[in-house]
Amino acid sequence: MSPLSSSKRRAVVVFALAFCSGASLLFGQDQSATATISHQVREVFERAAKAVVKIHGVDKHSEICGTGFFVDPTGTLYTAYTVGGEAGNFTVEFGGKKCPARQLVADIRSGTAILKVDETTPALPIGKSDELEMAAPVISVGYPLDLPKTPNFGWIAGFDRKCLGRYFSTIHLRVNAPTQRGEAGAPLLNMKGEVVGIVVSGLENNAACYAVPIEAAEKIRSDFVRFGEARHGWIGVNNVSPASQQVEGSRAMVTQVAEDAPAGRAGLKEGDVLLEVGKKKISDPEDVFDASFYITAGDTVPITVMRGDQKITLQVQATMHPAAKTGMLLASPGTIPGVIPMSLDDDATPSP
Amino acid sequence: MDEFNDNEIARLLRLKRYEQPPPAYFENFLHEFHRRQRDELLRQPLWRICLERAHNFMLQLDIRSLASYPTAVAAMLVCAAIFSLKVYQQPETARVASQSPLTLSVPVNSDQEWNLASPVSTQIFRTQPLRSFRESAQTHRAAPPRYVLDSVPVSYEPTFKF
Repeated sequence: MSPLSSSKRRAVVVFALAFCSGASLLFGQDQSATATISHQVREVFERAAKAVVKIHGVDKHSEICGTGFFVDPTGTLYTAYTVGGEAGNFTVEFGGKKCPARQLVADIRSGTAILKVDETTPALPIGKSDELEMAAPVISVGYPLDLPKTPNFGWIAGFDRKCLGRYFSTIHLRVNAPTQRGEAGAPLLNMKGEVVGIVVSGLENNAACYAVPIEAAEKIRSDFVRFGEARHGWIGVNNVSPASQQVEGSRAMVTQVAEDAPAGRAGLKEGDVLLEVGKKKISDPEDVFDASFYITAGDTVPITVMRGDQKITLQVQATMHPAAKTGMLLASPGTIPGVIPMSLDDDATPSP
Repeated sequence: MDEFNDNEIARLLRLKRYEQPPPAYFENFLHEFHRRQRDELLRQPLWRICLERAHNFMLQLDIRSLASYPTAVAAMLVCAAIFSLKVYQQPETARVASQSPLTLSVPVNSDQEWNLASPVSTQIFRTQPLRSFRESAQTHRAAPPRYVLDSVPVSYEPTFKF
């Protein structure tokens, strides 16, 4: 083997030096990125932790424990329906003290519940789940088991309308973040520390979880502020099927309209292709679930359709959802032990 | 030992080896023992026997330990009194929550079938709540709490109706 010439030796040394410096730079960047993420998560956790509470309640089986968070300084807090929906005698732990809480609304359709503590409280800022993108980083803060407040870091893994053949009432955020028992009702935060969802369930060994978008909970709160209860609207479309061809980007065709229903009275006809329901754009029949969730009984909803080659916007006054009337959607506060019954002024137009 | 030499001892042992008790000796041994014991006792006068028995009885009783009996009995009585006070103390009546909803109860004359036509005045309203506010999470300490996290969301939309 002939010895290397001096120029070749110099080239090898330069290459080795370049390789070492490049590797150290990459390693340094990797360390730096990890440190940045860790720092951001810690910062969001520290800011949000004050407004996150542990909820104790008693249902017909035993004591339950879950998580919740304040959304205004007057002590209104959001949690999951499974925590605050069917239990009573709520106690909320925050700031080193325990306070009694009462249920304001329990809405099984969205899977959320609203409780109230008569205290001045810290509150989390409300964000927009619409702005989240796939793989956006998110943080949840909850109380796993009997352990203290814990941050969980993950990312958005999907915007699901259904899981295992079951349709959700509204789009659910699938989050690849580990979640433990006791963390139902935990806030899902974006990297700015704003709430974008409420953790409602785990998924497959709790390595991931589902969160209801914060807009769904805000809709329920808005209904409560306006009417004293959740008011799921209904316009009387009995069936929507996929159209044979796309019209204006939509394949959601109305195939059955209920007789003497608000939609029929407003002029909606079978064969119309839905383009927009309220503020939500429709492109598939499945989109109507999410759009219809945000309809409030008593409100006038603009519905844009394509009829032939004509684009029409109809104004439909929604009535109370029939399922709500039969008690399928709402857990009536009067039926829940320990819940103060409210006087509800039912001024909705009677549904057919 | 000096009177006997080894040969004599050996001879005596040989003789003893073939020595047998009379027939039924072992069967009657206990009976014979008791008979002799009674005979021995009856040789003494009766007053002496009684005196001995009384003396033995008094010796068996430890006077010093007897002296601590009243203290022990008094302590037991105090404990029993305290225990009975705790056990038989009246339980505190549950406070009725004013916010609790009124629930319709069975009419007084439950023999008669209740129907919608029955006058309202015959119905009674139970003001006792389904669950008292005093019944807090602490009352369920016996069962471990359930840490909530369902495996699927409760939100469910069965049809395309809206």
